[in-house]
Amino acid sequence: MTRARSWKHKSKPFGGARVLWLLVGPGILVFLGENDAPSMLSYAATGARFGIGFFIPFVVFTFVMGYVVQEMTVRLGAVTHRGHAELIFDRFGKFWGFFSMSDLVLGNFLTLVTEFIGIRTGLGFFGVRPVIAVGGGLAIVFAAITTGRYWTWERITLGLAIFNGLFIPAAILARPDWLAVGHAMLTWTPLPKGNGAEILLLILADIGATVTPWMIFFQQSAVVDKGMQPRDIRAGRFDTLLGVLLASAFGVAALLATVPLFHHGIDASQFQAALFAEALRPWIGHIGAALFALGIFEAGIVAAIAISTSSAYAFGEVFATGHSLNRPLRDAWPFYSTLLGSACAAAGLVLIPRAPLEFVVLTVNVIAVLAMPPALAFLMLLVNDREVMGEYVNSGWENAAGIAVTLFLICAGIEFAFATVFPRWLGR
Amino acid sequence: MNRNDEDIAADRQSAESLLEAAGKVDLRDPRVVMSLLEADQVVAAKRQSRFGQRNLSLGVRIMLWGLRAYVAVMLILVLISVVRAIHSAQ
Repeated sequence: MTRARSWKHKSKPFGGARVLWLLVGPGILVFLGENDAPSMLSYAATGARFGIGFFIPFVVFTFVMGYVVQEMTVRLGAVTHRGHAELIFDRFGKFWGFFSMSDLVLGNFLTLVTEFIGIRTGLGFFGVRPVIAVGGGLAIVFAAITTGRYWTWERITLGLAIFNGLFIPAAILARPDWLAVGHAMLTWTPLPKGNGAEILLLILADIGATVTPWMIFFQQSAVVDKGMQPRDIRAGRFDTLLGVLLASAFGVAALLATVPLFHHGIDASQFQAALFAEALRPWIGHIGAALFALGIFEAGIVAAIAISTSSAYAFGEVFATGHSLNRPLRDAWPFYSTLLGSACAAAGLVLIPRAPLEFVVLTVNVIAVLAMPPALAFLMLLVNDREVMGEYVNSGWENAAGIAVTLFLICAGIEFAFATVFPRWLGR
Repeated sequence: MNRNDEDIAADRQSAESLLEAAGKVDLRDPRVVMSLLEADQVVAAKRQSRFGQRNLSLGVRIMLWGLRAYVAVMLILVLISVVRAIHSAQ
């Protein structure tokens, strides 16, 4: 037996790496997908407003919370072979299922709109007309799903998602003070000073940039579509961790890229992608500004693909129609129609002249944070359901971490409520 | 026994152990069957069975209703804050 094992290792020296390469995907996609246009703009706004300090470790901390949540979806998907919406309907009934779906549909649609705003404004930096930019974005979403195989779709989207790394060279061109970055990571200082309401809004936006309901629904369905089994949970955890590491590095890079605006006292509170890139040009050069604009475009494209797929998975699961990227277009047309329909509706809205898009941009990440506690409650109940999970139920530590994340999000929401009802409480 | 013979013997031993392990697979265990299926076969197989609805205790129902009320109140507050922001911008 020992001999046989050694023979196996000799013939496949990279066997473990090859298996990992085959199994990674949903975790990286979900985190790089969540590094979407509004998220990167929220990190950029944070860097421009507060510079290097408290928010750098805070952004990393939000990704740790993201790992705690998403790891549970890997186990749920691998053990039950069911999507999240399907499980909620099965175990809690239609009444709670439709409540849960309404949060998802509202959040997903608003987020999709912001992705197309990101696509439009990102390409706007290069002088591309809005109709062409948005139409091109739709064409890429369509091209990704015509492959008829989950595997091909996943590799194409992963290939696009890796361009989220464009924020790294943009950050390097901004020449950040790495000692100050290290100091901030260790001490969480200097603390943000100034308008309390603005600080709270950025805190909520940065949390909403990392933990959102669509991620739960998407990763669990993708794990099922990929055909992962309980024996693949370890690889699924690694995949999720890899996604966390890449996405947190790219998110912090977006924050660092805009720090020159903080040092030069430029008010970035009303900036969108193209404006950020334009404003950064004198300090990080044309190449840096172009990388930043391209990064926003890429973030919008990948998220548009992932979020429209998340809506389609949930629709297919709830209405018991074919819901797999492994199915051809004609067999699973309701699934693909939902996917394309939601993307087209969001893209169309972005092209309407004088549409109140500021409303969407202002609220999308905040709504994500506020809708998260009920989504987490369902997730925690399911992952502690021995009838569903068997031996894979949450351990004591996993429950403690999950409850801590839920309470943290509820506290952030309550603080937002106080700040809205009593505007002077935070010194607005 | 030269080196080539040793390799052949090791391969044979490996093949025998695999066959022996395959013989021990209990195909009556649904988890084992699921783990042997292809992805699209799993999707088809799972349609044959569903998890039943669980009984929600009073505590769980109170928690779910509480969170539902939380979301409703928060959405109203988001609306208020956005209207304020738009008015102040104008």
